[in-house]
Amino acid sequence: MVKKISFLILSVAIMVIGIIAFGKLGYWNRSVRIFKYSSDTPFEGRQGRGPEGREGFIRPEMRELPDSIRERFESREGRPGQGMREMNMPDSIRQQFGPRSGERIGRGSNDGGFRNSEGHGRGEFPGGKKINIRNVKWFLAVFAAFTVIAIYTDKMVCLIRRRNGKLIRNSESTG
Amino acid sequence: MNISKFFLSLIITIAMLLLMDPRSFYGLAFHEWAGLVIGIFFILHKILNWGWIKKVTVGFFRKCPGRARFNYILDVMLLAGITLMILSGIAIARTIDFSWLNLGGSRMFWRVMHTSSSFITLALFGIHLGLHWNWVLVRLHLKKSKNGKEN
Repeated sequence: MVKKISFLILSVAIMVIGIIAFGKLGYWNRSVRIFKYSSDTPFEGRQGRGPEGREGFIRPEMRELPDSIRERFESREGRPGQGMREMNMPDSIRQQFGPRSGERIGRGSNDGGFRNSEGHGRGEFPGGKKINIRNVKWFLAVFAAFTVIAIYTDKMVCLIRRRNGKLIRNSESTG
Repeated sequence: MNISKFFLSLIITIAMLLLMDPRSFYGLAFHEWAGLVIGIFFILHKILNWGWIKKVTVGFFRKCPGRARFNYILDVMLLAGITLMILSGIAIARTIDFSWLNLGGSRMFWRVMHTSSSFITLALFGIHLGLHWNWVLVRLHLKKSKNGKEN
């Protein structure tokens, strides 16, 4: 019994985290986007790139900035990615992340990445390769939630079938 | 055989989760190469379960348990999802040159297709795992096999 209750609590916790992750990733919108797609609609890119984008998304180069500077930067411009040039930030950081160094090549370019950083592809950052699994945990949460839903739905279906089978057998034996 | 099936499924699950964010792990190059490898693993997974596929395909419209039928439909949807995911990934690849394939269509379309198909496929993966949870528990020796047919 204790085992069953602890599994139930664990399942509820997984479900709650899964629902949070579902909202955070904009899972539904991004899943059904292909069904709403028409070639006339302007492309907004991955959610989070625009000002109305995914909550909590931070551009890769912004992630490397100290929190205090990032906050100041975002509150001043309202949107990450603007006004890097005018921003009042230490020279060392400006050199590393400013528009002059590590300037991004246009979206249409095939190689992508940072112009002044050798060997960095898109999604990789200057200052050495880093293993970044920040978003993976949210996907894991959604995946686990779907698994839990399937396990309990399967159990419920089995239980209902067994109960129905028992009822039929009982009615046959009495009738 | 079952152990290899189990480890293959485990690798596919971990790889699938790491591939959900192109920035995760070692960046886009890893994302693209691992995406191709996961396709091969998926085919291997199908080959290892070929007996079941053959049996259900033959008996799908005849005498076949509802559960097996549902699993079969889910597997077909997973196959379609994986195919679309890899195809759209090839169309928008940046570190590997697939321009010789001439897939056509706009980059925007393939990008949207890649995101949507991967999100839907991950959800289907979760449901697939949930429906095979007993099999996983038996493989992990957390549950006894009922009649030795938990394959």
